[in-house]
Amino acid sequence: MSLRHPAGSGALLWFSQRVTGVVLVLLLAIHFALQHFLGTPSSGVLDYATVSARFANPLYVAFDLVFVVLALAHGLNGVWMVTEDFFHKPWQRLVIWSTLATVGVVLLALAVVTVVPLAGQA
Amino acid sequence: MKSTKMYQQKHAFETRYRWFTGSFAWILHRVSGLALVLYLLLHIYSVSFLAKGSEAFNAVMQAYASPAFKIGEVLVWAAFLYHALNGLRVVWMDLGKGSLFHKKLFAGVFVLAGLLFVAGAYGMLRHTFGW
Repeated sequence: MSLRHPAGSGALLWFSQRVTGVVLVLLLAIHFALQHFLGTPSSGVLDYATVSARFANPLYVAFDLVFVVLALAHGLNGVWMVTEDFFHKPWQRLVIWSTLATVGVVLLALAVVTVVPLAGQA
Repeated sequence: MKSTKMYQQKHAFETRYRWFTGSFAWILHRVSGLALVLYLLLHIYSVSFLAKGSEAFNAVMQAYASPAFKIGEVLVWAAFLYHALNGLRVVWMDLGKGSLFHKKLFAGVFVLAGLLFVAGAYGMLRHTFGW
C-alpha cells in the first residue's frame, strides 16, 4: 500500500516554503521601509500622488509583482499545509485546493491590473 | 485501533497542539501566518483602489490613518516580525544545525522581534498620536 498523499509527498511544497520565506523576509523589509519611512509624505499618510509616482518606475512595478507572486504563493501554500492536518478526505482536499488556487489567481490578476497600467505614466 | 482513530478525530486539536517551547513556537507560527495571509488579501484589495483614481484611493488611505487601523497595522508588524524571525529559525533547524540550540534561538527571536517592534511601531504611530 502506498503511503503517498494523493497530492504528492509535499516535499517540494515544504522546500519551496523555506525558499520563498527567506526571500520574503528581505522583500518585506524593503517594502516596510518604503511604505513607512523612505520618501513618504510628511503627514505619514501615503497618497495617490506619491504611490502613482513610484509605480511610474517599471522597476518598482516589477518589484511589487515579484513580491505579490511570492507572498501569495507562500501564504496560500501555508494555509494549504495547515488544512492538511485537519481535512483528509479527497473531496475536501479538492475543494480546499480549488478555493485557494482561485483566491490566488484572482488576487494576482487584481494586483496586475492595478499596477501595470501605472508603469511609465508621468 | 478504531477507538484510537475516533479519539484522534474527536480531539484533533488537543492531540496535535501541545505545550513545549518548540510546539508553542510552531502554534504561534501558524496563527501569525494565518493572520498575515488574511492581511495580505485585504491589503491587495485596498491597494487596487489605485485603479479607481486619486479621490477613491486617498479616501481609503485616510480611513486607514485612523487610530484603530493604525493599531491594527502595528499588530501586523508584530505578526510579521515573529513569523519572519521564527521562520528563519525553522530554516536553520531544517537545513542547518539550529535544532541543537533551538530554544536559545527561540529566545533570540523574541528579543530581536521585541526590539524591532518597538522601533517600527514608534515610527508607524508617531504621526497618528503626535509623538
